[in-house]
Amino acid sequence: MKTFNPDAMGEKLLRRFAGGTSRRGILARLGLALVAAPVFPVLPVSRASAAKPDRSPEAKTTFARNAQSKDDTKCDYWRYCAIDGSLCSCCGGAVNRCPPGAEHSPVSWVGTCINPDDGRAYLIAYRDCCGKAYCNKCDCDGTDRETQLYVPQLNNDVIWCFGTTSMEYHCSTAVLVGTA
Amino acid sequence: MLQIEGFRRFRQKGPGQMKMMKVQGKSSLSVMGRNTAAAACAIALLGGIPAAHAADPLQPDPELEAVTLPAPKPSWVFVERGFVMPGNAIYDTDTGKMLGLIESSNLSDLALDPAGKAFYVSESIWTKGWRGTRQDMITVYDSATLKLKSEITMPGRILIGGRKFNFVIADAGKTAYVYNLDPASSVNVIDMVKGKFLKKIELPGCASLMPVTGVGFSALCSDGSLATVKVAATKPEITRSAPFFSATNDPIFDNFGYDGAKQEAVFLTYTGQVYTAKLGATPTISEPFSIQAAAGVSPADTKPLDVHWYPGARQGLAYHLGTGHAFVLMHTGEYWTHKAPGTEVWELDVAAKKVVKRIPLEDPAEEIAVTQEPNAKLVLAGESGTLLILDAKTGEEKFKLEKSAGGVLRTLEP
Repeated sequence: MKTFNPDAMGEKLLRRFAGGTSRRGILARLGLALVAAPVFPVLPVSRASAAKPDRSPEAKTTFARNAQSKDDTKCDYWRYCAIDGSLCSCCGGAVNRCPPGAEHSPVSWVGTCINPDDGRAYLIAYRDCCGKAYCNKCDCDGTDRETQLYVPQLNNDVIWCFGTTSMEYHCSTAVLVGTA
Repeated sequence: MLQIEGFRRFRQKGPGQMKMMKVQGKSSLSVMGRNTAAAACAIALLGGIPAAHAADPLQPDPELEAVTLPAPKPSWVFVERGFVMPGNAIYDTDTGKMLGLIESSNLSDLALDPAGKAFYVSESIWTKGWRGTRQDMITVYDSATLKLKSEITMPGRILIGGRKFNFVIADAGKTAYVYNLDPASSVNVIDMVKGKFLKKIELPGCASLMPVTGVGFSALCSDGSLATVKVAATKPEITRSAPFFSATNDPIFDNFGYDGAKQEAVFLTYTGQVYTAKLGATPTISEPFSIQAAAGVSPADTKPLDVHWYPGARQGLAYHLGTGHAFVLMHTGEYWTHKAPGTEVWELDVAAKKVVKRIPLEDPAEEIAVTQEPNAKLVLAGESGTLLILDAKTGEEKFKLEKSAGGVLRTLEP
């Protein structure tokens, strides 16, 4: 079963990151930190087995079996399998956009979520929106493959407002990066 | 009414006007006293209460002084009030009463001075609320008055909340370690005697700090190892144990059990595997055992659709140092439900590898702590916001305190 392809995930995430950001010093340092930290080699890897992923109900988590793709203001929306916090889609923003006046964090933690419509796994970047008080609406806590602080890029409790003007946490988005 | 009017004006005016207002207050009391006396006389004439008794007026309150606290007691519990509610509240589990509040900003971490003289808050504040220049510090509060004593400036720290091992005190109170993620991983070393930041140690891929006597600290790592850092060396040396757990498939909860005196740690994984570690320059880690097997039920695994008892919650393990028993919040469900609140407390005799008691909970708990008293008490922070205090031996409910729970719980350790 090929659940994760960390190299492709890393490449996509960094390409997206590089394409959408300037080369200001702070961001360059953040990118360097992401690369330098032993991040991608420790993501769950299952390289050896068959290329075709098992998407049967028996292979899915509780969240994936019950996920829907219609309403992104509900905790069971498929992209939210590892989100934690208020949904920006309930706070004046969208699933992938910050509410007015809030600022997207350039870095994020990630999740691998299965789309119920096509059965594929996608890499989702949970980019916090920062610079406003906690929205405190539609609070969700998806925990699929969410781990502890020593794997910070897979931990959803960290305040990910790095490189933003303010570190105040407002809400979280779920940005689709690509297939996992 | 005169009294109330006086109070209102007291609140509105500056300190220079206070005396006058107090005189007014007294005057209003005596007016009220005269009225009361007249009314009492009228009642007495009608054959009611003796007039002499009712004639004694209430005495005015003395000068106002804030309450001070006695030396910290093992029966106390320190309660983080939650994600958006700053402060750490102190409760006495003997009385169920709140004793005071340690000032602390959002996402700060609390640590207790082993000598009992101070409370330390590792926190980050900005010059304009959440804007302006960031300032990271350890703020020192007097343990009796809860008043600010000093601030120790340091470089950045992680903003996360809800973790016990991001700010730890070592060397009998002489050293503090503060974890930082920016998002590279490092540790601030602080001399608590001189009140001075000493150095920053890069710690790639590791977090959750355990003081190691005479060495420095250990930390859990993303490659499944335990790193140990010799702090005193000019260039800090980091050594890693052989990997012993999977940080992504069956992670160890980063709120684990730690015994500073015995230099031991008790680690619990998402599936319920229990490891013990003997800390030191070269730590040794035991073979794991299943907490479910220790309770006589089926061990858990990582397969979808398999329903088992799993450990979980935000602070799901409390370790009683005197007995070596761990109290673990457990729930039933499938794998990847590690944040689900506990519906039972399992008391695990770690050395005997046996669950000796299970306590069902009406209000599922997010956090658990145990007082380090011989007759220990359990403190449980419920989903509903209620703080429940139980006798650890009998499970008997001592107190149920509404609107008192929030975040991580801490108790004094010997």
